[in-house]
Amino acid sequence: RGVPGAFPAPGTSLLSLAVTSEQIEHLHRRFKQLSQDQLTIRKENFDSIPDLEFNPIRGKIVHAFFDKRNLRQGSDGLADEINFEDFLTIMSYFRPIEMNMDEEQLDRFRKEKLKFLFHMYDSDHDGKITLQEYRNVVEELLSGNPHLEKESARSIADGAMMEAASICVGQMGPDQVYEGITFEDFLKMWQGIDIETKMHVRFLNVDTIAHCY
Amino acid sequence: GIIERDETPMEKEIALLHRADFEFSHIFYFCRKGFEAIVEDEVTQRFSSEELLSWNLLTRTNVNFHYISLRLTVVWVIGVIVRYCFLLPLRFTLAAIGITSMIVGTTVVGQLPNGSVKNYLSEVVHLTCSRILVRALSGTIHYHNKENRPQKGGICVANHTSPIDAIILTNDGCYAMVGQVHGGLMGVIQRATVKACPHVWFERSEMKDRHLVTKRLREHVADKSKLPILIFPEGTCINNTSVMMFKKGSFEIGGTIYPVAIKYDPQFGDAFWNSSKYNIVSYLLRIMTSWAIVCNVWYLPPMVRKEGEDAVQFANRVRSAIARQGGLTELPWDGGLKRAKVKDTFKEEQQKNYSKMLVRNGSVG
Repeated sequence: RGVPGAFPAPGTSLLSLAVTSEQIEHLHRRFKQLSQDQLTIRKENFDSIPDLEFNPIRGKIVHAFFDKRNLRQGSDGLADEINFEDFLTIMSYFRPIEMNMDEEQLDRFRKEKLKFLFHMYDSDHDGKITLQEYRNVVEELLSGNPHLEKESARSIADGAMMEAASICVGQMGPDQVYEGITFEDFLKMWQGIDIETKMHVRFLNVDTIAHCY
Repeated sequence: GIIERDETPMEKEIALLHRADFEFSHIFYFCRKGFEAIVEDEVTQRFSSEELLSWNLLTRTNVNFHYISLRLTVVWVIGVIVRYCFLLPLRFTLAAIGITSMIVGTTVVGQLPNGSVKNYLSEVVHLTCSRILVRALSGTIHYHNKENRPQKGGICVANHTSPIDAIILTNDGCYAMVGQVHGGLMGVIQRATVKACPHVWFERSEMKDRHLVTKRLREHVADKSKLPILIFPEGTCINNTSVMMFKKGSFEIGGTIYPVAIKYDPQFGDAFWNSSKYNIVSYLLRIMTSWAIVCNVWYLPPMVRKEGEDAVQFANRVRSAIARQGGLTELPWDGGLKRAKVKDTFKEEQQKNYSKMLVRNGSVG
């Protein structure tokens, strides 16, 4: 897996977030800051980010970093700790679109991002988003407000599931049961919404070196 | 999992669907915000020095120092020689003269009996020594709106970037300083100056007792013949790109608040003191080997606490005024975060704001 402590060369993972070595350096510095100079990060290390505390789906985001499905390790379950390469792998899901992408690349790009989102909802790793799992996500989103009744969260989730069912299965008979949203159904739900432009983190291009030729 | 199919009327069903659609974009928003926070967070950014867009020939402001060209390196080396061999000794001498004059001058004035003569002489000594010290740092200061300068019996409130903020302000007026008693050279200066002019120095143990501190400051402010007190409510040095939360203690004292905004020009030297990275001596060394300290000081119109406004709201109002004038961003953060973690009550408040935003936008009719 390479020499510990060295930067992985750009392009080792299929989709690498950071395009320039400068950006990788920035992420590496950030990694060292979070890990407190250790080689790996654990869940507790994310507690040191104040901005993240206010995020209602903080738990799910941190969880996503340790989800083996996102780490492309072929296995399932949760990792206890991740190294810098894993960190970059997860960050690559938030890579912005590049100008010179062709149809096939764009499609694969989009699928990767949606897969990441799917894993966020599907917490028991069974490949389906059940009604309960969906409700959990919505409840977390609205968790900060104590005045909001659980009923509102539930009705939002139920509405979403109904919509999913109608998109995927069409009209259902009164005895039919909708198991849950599979990944294919999930893809269908997102048709027409361009998440590629919404789900990315852009690096600013700031040159800190003077031009003096 | 089974979907509960209930007999909801069509309008409600559409409303529900609308909400679901809406909730998706919020998942994105929070997901993205979360990742942005992980890549770089706003708070820790404020505690490292401001990055300049073009280099000012000080390696300390260039984090990614690379070799660019021979010409640039030569220019830089000349700069180093000028700064360390010429400017530094000159400034050091001036600073020594300034501090010695301050100690000697205030001790002498302190011997006089209390009265208008003593006050006048004390002002002269303080101002002169301040000016010498500012020259020692090669400070170029522009004061704006001098008509709003703090008056006697008032409280002067300013944003805090470095320990030299106090000297910047005393260069143009006389204030009663507020602070903790230190040991060493600082302690000597404190003891000398308090004889000539009623500065408010607290023992360390006294600082812990907020009521005692507030009481003493109130007594000082109530006496209209005493000089205005100078307070930095952020509690710690911020890197001069933003203003953090003001501690409400300063705003509970009462009296008229005279806000002052101080903005340093980072082109000539970085005035920010990262106290967790550098100690005071290495900080002063850095300041004295920069090109210059250039800053703008704006005196803002005086503010008083309104009816029904509590200390926190008043503090925020003053902070907005300062941030707006100085072109600094207002962050709802506590300067104490440099060393500690987020307070729980604050977290809850923020979470409430997020979900309020969600529900308000999603509710129909």
